[in-house]
Amino acid sequence: MIRIENLGITFGHGRTAVEAVRGVSFFVDEGESFGLVGESGSGKSTVLRAIAGLVSPSNGSIEIEGTPLARRRETAFYKRVQMIFQDPYGSLHPRHTVNDILKEPLEIHGFRDGERRILKALDEVGLGAELRFRFPHQISGGQRQRVAIARALILEPSVLLLDEPTSALDVSVQAEILNLLSRLRRDHGLTFIMVSHNLAVVAHLCERIAVMNRGLFIEELTDEQLRRAEPHHGYTRQLLTASKGYDRDAIAEFVDYD
Amino acid sequence: MKSAPLLRVEDLRVEFATPKGSVEAVRGIDFQLGQERLGIVGESGSGKSQTGRAILRLLAANGRISARRLEFDGIDILHADDRVMRRIRGNRISMIMQDPRYSLNPVMTVGRQISEAYLIHADASRKEARERALEMLETVRIREPEKVFGLYPHQVSGGMGQRIMIAMMLIPNPEIIIADEPTSALDVTVQLQVLAILDDMVRQRGMGLILISHDLGLVSSFCDRILVMYGGRIMESLKAGELDHAKHPYTRGLLNCLPKMDGSHAELPVLKRDPAWLKGPVP
Repeated sequence: MIRIENLGITFGHGRTAVEAVRGVSFFVDEGESFGLVGESGSGKSTVLRAIAGLVSPSNGSIEIEGTPLARRRETAFYKRVQMIFQDPYGSLHPRHTVNDILKEPLEIHGFRDGERRILKALDEVGLGAELRFRFPHQISGGQRQRVAIARALILEPSVLLLDEPTSALDVSVQAEILNLLSRLRRDHGLTFIMVSHNLAVVAHLCERIAVMNRGLFIEELTDEQLRRAEPHHGYTRQLLTASKGYDRDAIAEFVDYD
Repeated sequence: MKSAPLLRVEDLRVEFATPKGSVEAVRGIDFQLGQERLGIVGESGSGKSQTGRAILRLLAANGRISARRLEFDGIDILHADDRVMRRIRGNRISMIMQDPRYSLNPVMTVGRQISEAYLIHADASRKEARERALEMLETVRIREPEKVFGLYPHQVSGGMGQRIMIAMMLIPNPEIIIADEPTSALDVTVQLQVLAILDDMVRQRGMGLILISHDLGLVSSFCDRILVMYGGRIMESLKAGELDHAKHPYTRGLLNCLPKMDGSHAELPVLKRDPAWLKGPVP
């Protein structure tokens, strides 16, 4: 479904150039859910943004359903691939109502049955029709993220790119959104690529997980390997220890991985 | 608790006047703090941050604090005049905020900011303040303190910024530290390293620490005691090691809705809120 080959992304030029992603390759099958975990600056979001066409790769290729993607994405691409961002406060237009937000992609892609699709999308993400004419500031953070999900789904894409979709939410709301995403994937046979700094969240939603550090893939694990807590690489083990909470002795052993 | 409590809070309330009427952010809570690490956990809007701020009477202009008792070392915080408060704030009770990018002065070197914190509260020369600041940078485990002393906040990483904040807040040697989500903006490993520094200093100097956070797992593994807040009230008070025996349905619900690394992709239990939690007696 999605094949990334030797992807490299560099920002800036000359001496100040930063290699954000350094030769990353992976393959995601149809209907699969693939997770990218790492700390800030690991390049995980950059990989996702490159797939969405928000940054241009310096090296390598991105293929979707066997066709390599051109530097400039065509409109049809976005009918198949949609992205959901971290901050539902920042990703929704503050002066558009929920209805306007959902209508925009339909207009861009020339759908005529807008009314039906808007109601269906709201229903699918568990929002009542009474929220349809509200503004983003009139609804809660969890509801906002549901609107962002509805906006992505309204075009009936086959791939969802999720960039920390629950990090800005309270844990109780996070659980609701994770459940919603799992259900939508099951019902629509969606393919997910999800980025998060939270190992538990990625492990919950994804079957295969790649650990990134400083632009490189450190290792790839299955959810089963993670469950048995058997990562091979020291960096992943450290991440796993850290996600278990505060332990003064374990922290003394932490090292920097470059 | 070994010693007499440093801080006594009884029936603390924080209210905000808004055009739509008054909103109660904290609705009658009681607790005491000794030389210990106390965690206050809750979701957004639970009143945890306002509780921390009320202790220093740091409130927006439309806010109002009331309490039967709000006492620090025999001083009635509620009725103390501004001069008394200024001697407490930063000097005897200090506060660490969430994001060092917003709480450090961007046009002042970190060294000057730390020295300033010392100069304001101690009768010392500039040279002495500089030496103390360098010592502090070393204590919070910053390599090459001399070099970091001359840097501006944008030149340091998030983890280093937060360690600088800790250095600045601890230099007057306060008796109580209030840390409001001090590590939420940091990566997990850095987060723990910063907490370890705070932990060591609090232990060595015998301070009281209030750690305010939304992260139940982190707080319970770090603190001695935790208060779980919801809707401006304390739902449950627990010894940190006893989180597994939490009784209140809200605490249990928060614990259960966390995804676990057990290889299961099963539906997560969703927290169901009971309106009675906002009213009835608190267990």
